[in-house]
Order: sequence, then C-alpha cells, then structure tokens
Amino acid sequence: MTVKNSLTPLEAQITRIEEMTSIEKLFYLKLIDLNTVKEFHYTPGQFLEVSIPGVGEAPISICDVQREHGRLQLCIRKVGRVTNAIHRLKKGDRLWIRGPYGNGFPMNLMENHDLLLIAGGLGIAPLRSVLQYALLHRNSYGSITVMYGVKCYSMMLFREEFLKLFREGDKLNVKFLLAYEDSDDFQCYQLSCERSDRCMSGLVTKLIESTAITPDNTYAVVCGPPIMYKFVVKELTQRGFTPAQIYMTMERRMKCGVGKCGHCITGSSNSIKYVCKDGPVFTYWDALKTRGLM
Amino acid sequence: MYKKLFKEDLEQFTSTLKQFGSIYGPVKKTSRGCEFTELTDFKDLQLNYTRTMIPPKKFFLKPKEPLYSLNKDAGFKEIIDDSKTVLLGVHSCDINALNLLDRVYLNQFPDLHYKTRRENTIIIGVSCEPDDYCFCTSTGSSHALKGFDLFLHEISDSYIVRVGSMKGFQIITQNKHIIKNPSLTDIKEFKEYEAERLSKITLNLNVNGIQDILDLSFDHAVWQENADICFGCGSCNLVCPTCRCYDVIDYLKLDLKNGLKVRRWDSCMLKQHALVAGGLNFRPTRVERLYNRFNCKMSCSEDSLNCVGCGRCTVYCPADINFVEVLKQVRED
Repeated sequence: MTVKNSLTPLEAQITRIEEMTSIEKLFYLKLIDLNTVKEFHYTPGQFLEVSIPGVGEAPISICDVQREHGRLQLCIRKVGRVTNAIHRLKKGDRLWIRGPYGNGFPMNLMENHDLLLIAGGLGIAPLRSVLQYALLHRNSYGSITVMYGVKCYSMMLFREEFLKLFREGDKLNVKFLLAYEDSDDFQCYQLSCERSDRCMSGLVTKLIESTAITPDNTYAVVCGPPIMYKFVVKELTQRGFTPAQIYMTMERRMKCGVGKCGHCITGSSNSIKYVCKDGPVFTYWDALKTRGLM
Repeated sequence: MYKKLFKEDLEQFTSTLKQFGSIYGPVKKTSRGCEFTELTDFKDLQLNYTRTMIPPKKFFLKPKEPLYSLNKDAGFKEIIDDSKTVLLGVHSCDINALNLLDRVYLNQFPDLHYKTRRENTIIIGVSCEPDDYCFCTSTGSSHALKGFDLFLHEISDSYIVRVGSMKGFQIITQNKHIIKNPSLTDIKEFKEYEAERLSKITLNLNVNGIQDILDLSFDHAVWQENADICFGCGSCNLVCPTCRCYDVIDYLKLDLKNGLKVRRWDSCMLKQHALVAGGLNFRPTRVERLYNRFNCKMSCSEDSLNCVGCGRCTVYCPADINFVEVLKQVRED
C-alpha cells in the first residue's frame, strides 16, 4: 500500500499529568515511534482523535504550541466514556492519537495585528496554543488581550501560568482579564481587589463591556461553550468588529476527523461545512452564511 | 469504445468474469425484488430489475466492517480486505452514486478501506427498468458517464457494450470470440431503446435553484408535518446510495484485552447523530434532523447534488414520506 492511512492511530506515552481542577487534567504526551515524530506537526487550533483501545475515540484540541517534535499537551475534561477512561490513566501509560486534524487558527494572517482572545471555561485550552504561539513569536504580533471567563477560582485552568500573566503580563504587552461567575468566590474577589479593571464578577461579556477595545487592526479569537458565542459576537459587532475579524472554534461530534463520517456536516444547501476539515476554526462570516454552525 | 455482445453469449461472458473476482449480481430474493448477491448459478441472474433495496454502496462501505484488530497494550493493527469482486448489473443511478461517494472517500484524505475495494472491484453497468418512483432524469443521473468498467446497454437480442476502463478492455479482449462490433441497425435500435427507457421516467423534480429555496424554507410547515409522521428509523439512510455516514465502535472480546475497531453505517435521522459528550445535541429535534437530511441530499458540496433520483427512500419509507413530494411542497410548485 502506497497510500498513508490517515486514520491509523499512533502510540503515545503519558510523560506527566497535572490535575488542574476536579474535572480537568493536563496530559503531557510523547509520541513513541520515532518515524512518526518527524512528520508530526501541529498548529494552534488543530485537534487530535485520542483513543484507548477497547473504549473508543474522542476529538480533543491541542492546548500548547509545538516546541519539541513529538511532544504535545492535551487539557482533557472528563465528560464522557472515553475522557473518563483517559482520566484513569497514570504517568507512563499509553494512549493512541491520530491527527492533527482541522485548519487551525490563521496565525500568519493575524501577524502584525492586535489579538483579542476571548475564552469561556475549557475554551481556553485551544486559545492557550494561540497565546503561546504569539508569545513565542512576540515581535510578529501587536498587543494581546486575553479575556477568560471561569465559574470560580478552583475551576480556573492553567492557574499559575495565567495568574503570572495577570500580574506581570504588561511586561510582555499582554493584558490578562478574568471574569468569574460565582460572585461569592473569595479568591477571585481578592484578585479583583488587586486589579479591579482586570478581574470582575460576571460573565466574560462583562469584560468586553468594561474594557476599551477597538476593532482597529485587531482580530478577535473566541472559544467557549456554544451558548457563549452568540453573546460575545453581539458585543464585538456592536464595537465595530466585522464578521471577518472574528474567529471562533467549534465543537461537533467528530468521529473521523477527515470529512468522511458525516457527523459534523453543518449548513444548508448553500454553504456546507465539515467542522472537522473545513474547521474547527471559522470566521463569524462563515457562521452567518452556514446555517446551524453557530 | 463500443462493442456488441449477444444475449445468448452472456452466460459464457459471465463465466470468464470469475477470474477477476467473485461475481455479484441482482438475484431475486424476496417478493419485493432483487438484491446484489454472490452469483453461484447463472440462472439466478436477473438483469432486468428495477432497483435493489440495498444499493451497491454495501460493497465499498460495508454495513459493518472491522477496520483494526485492537489490543489493550499493543494498539491497533490494520485489517484490509483485498478480495476481488465483480459487480454485474449496476444501474446508472447507482454508478453515479458511487461517483459521489468517491468525492468524499477519495479526496485529500483517501480512505484506505474504501479505496482498496474500489480498486479491487470491477463494475459492469446495465440498462435499467424505471418505475414511477425513479426521477434520475431530474438529478442528471440517468446516464453514467464514468465510474464503470463496462456498461451493457440493452437492445433487442444483444447489448451494446461501452468500455469504460482498461480493465473493461481486458475483459473484452479475453472474450474476443463473442464480442462483435455494433452495426448501424444496432445503433438505431440503441437510440430507440434509450428513448423508450427515458420515456418511462415520468416523475420530475425541479432541482433548479433548490439550494436557495431550501435555505429560505427552514421554517416551512412541511418539515414539521413530515417530522410528525416520520418514525426516525433511519431506513432512508440505509437504502440511500449516497448516504455514507458511519460510526466507529470498539468491541472487546471476553478477555477484555483483544477486540475489533469496527465501523458501521450510521444515520442522521437517529437522535445521537449530532450528540456530543456532555449531552449537547446539535440537532436535538426530529424536524431539524429531517430538514438536515433533505438539505444534505440536495447538496454534496455547494456545486453538486447528493441525490441520484433512485427513489429508494420513498419506496422503503415505512411512514410513506415521499421525498419528491416533500420537496415539491417546499417549492410550492
């Protein structure tokens, strides 16, 4: 067979596990087969199909920027059969991955622009790869604003990393803003006492409302639960962002990742999108013309 | 390239096909008609048939097929079925449907299982016997222009054989002694037979501009009316020659170590089709799923229909939902 089977999973080893919240863990993976390592390239916003033999497969977005060949990080919430099984794995255990799939964020297009990253909950995972990429190529991007909405302090992902950015981000021309839903959360309240303009009680949209942002030379990148997009997009368009300036990444039942299995097809006859291969990153313009995408 | 094969030589011709693989053809199975079945006796072959219930997609995307053998520790090992098959007696609509499947399964990420079987299968088309449910002239699939190795166009005592590939040419060459050249009379007859066949396809669906109409008719009452009677059983997906959604399931053996990764046909009419972990469903209601299916059939991509007008979904719908009728109501023609 001369054709490479894009559906065959590759073996990977868990080199480290970080417990992030009660339901989310960060997995550090290393590809085992050295031949596949060289071919394995991923860009921010792409995803993998992660599988455990005998249990099944789940699409998971990669949450870091590629630094070393064959190494990557996945932030996984235990929410279904496969992710629960992944959470039971320990350091040194193996799992199988295939991909990376999807278009990813247009990092080249966004060069020399300001970035406004807006995430809710687990949506920060793919956006973290965008943030890391921009920090790695810091001179290629303008100012970076991150707006992150969480339920409470204990549900905040990548806490140490982001708290550092929250306090010291200005050195890197990064503004890190936090919104917390649970108004009684003491630790978040303390953060808001520290910087009342950077941390506030409410939804992520509150951050957009209370921050001076302009659409000039800016791309907005949004990821969060499906319900969030509508409200965030409304705020952004009211502030003059055009549909082409807003990028978002979508979730669907993506069984194959390569546009075959049919589960993620969205749209009506005039605009058909496979979220797995045409996406998962789309502009708001795509969403406007593709029925059911957002 | 066109040749001629006398009907009386068909048995001999068929016997030479064995060397190219197991022969499957339409065989009368039930009172409802023929199914593609392995041909053990030439007498079983029914080349004059209207439609099979299950389309020939079952040979390329099997209803249920193992993709990998799996082991908890060792991972996945590919299973490739490289058996050779000859499909005898495939209609134009079904060949066009395979061409549509090719667009999906052989694109930038070719599916190895599908590709292997497509390469290992010889397709011999045959003229069809249309009934009142056929509307292939509306979907531009009443003729197959590619996607076959040989095509047998029936005339009175023989077939005009169109050679569609090198493999087809090889078969013709091996049957030199029974293959003739068509005469002028044969060509005249061919035209008459084709005209007669086409005249039987009377059902018409106006697909011009259907994309705009469907997009603008999201709230049309006809969707809810039909969703109310639809059983959501997914039969339309199973019998559709272009429906191609699949699901992948890991099956473990009793030792809980070894097993199979299997893919099987899925159906967009079933509730879990757009369900993701955590319980969110992107098409939670039947009316959304029904609308989605009609949309999907009217667009494989923005430039192509995904329906070949075979009529199966209407014929086999247990709720008697008439595909063409629904679209006509949406059009308000």
